[in-house]
Amino acid sequence: MSAASATRREGLAYGLGALHAAARGDRMMWALHRAALSNGIVPVTPAVTVAEGYRTEARSDRLGELLAGTEVEPFTDAAARRSGEIAARCDTSDLNSIAVVELAERRNCAVVAQRQTVLRTASALLGHELVLYAV
Amino acid sequence: MTKRSVSLDDGVAASVEEAAKQDGVSFSAWLSTAAERQLRVRQGLRGVAAWEGETGSLSAEELAAGEALLARLRSGVSGVASRVRRR
Repeated sequence: MSAASATRREGLAYGLGALHAAARGDRMMWALHRAALSNGIVPVTPAVTVAEGYRTEARSDRLGELLAGTEVEPFTDAAARRSGEIAARCDTSDLNSIAVVELAERRNCAVVAQRQTVLRTASALLGHELVLYAV
Repeated sequence: MTKRSVSLDDGVAASVEEAAKQDGVSFSAWLSTAAERQLRVRQGLRGVAAWEGETGSLSAEELAAGEALLARLRSGVSGVASRVRRR
């Protein structure tokens, strides 16, 4: 997408890749996180992503430092149903990635995550142009 | 729920009133949400400082790169991970 036709995003949605990047000490990830907070933007991530992060990441102390400045959005009944439906249409069991896309679309956020085809597929299904910082 | 009496600048109070109306929430709820966000920012920056304490402070170059990346993403342009030199 060209800058001229791009749609402005209100915030940042963190996927599992963002949590792992922070935990391994990716300095660009931390610089981005700090920039967001300094501009009054509190990044957001789904609760299911946090669960997956703590399941798969040994550096839980660093996850805690990142999440201190991140809104963890509860996986509500409505979000769960919508994510399940999108996952079915994408033919994927990766509910974590789908939850991130669903949240990003609903709250008009750019996504910070690992590059994954499912992110783009789900965004296209929602008619939402994915703006991704691939970590 | 705690009740507190607070004083606001007239202009701020009017702006909050208008914003609360637009968002469909009460004056108190709007202020509470704003305060919660500000507290989260504060806690978040402390988290960043804690990480910097372990690994070294972000350099001016890194901070500028973070700001530039944020601006790019907010303007709707995707990006890929890049490294910045650590000073």
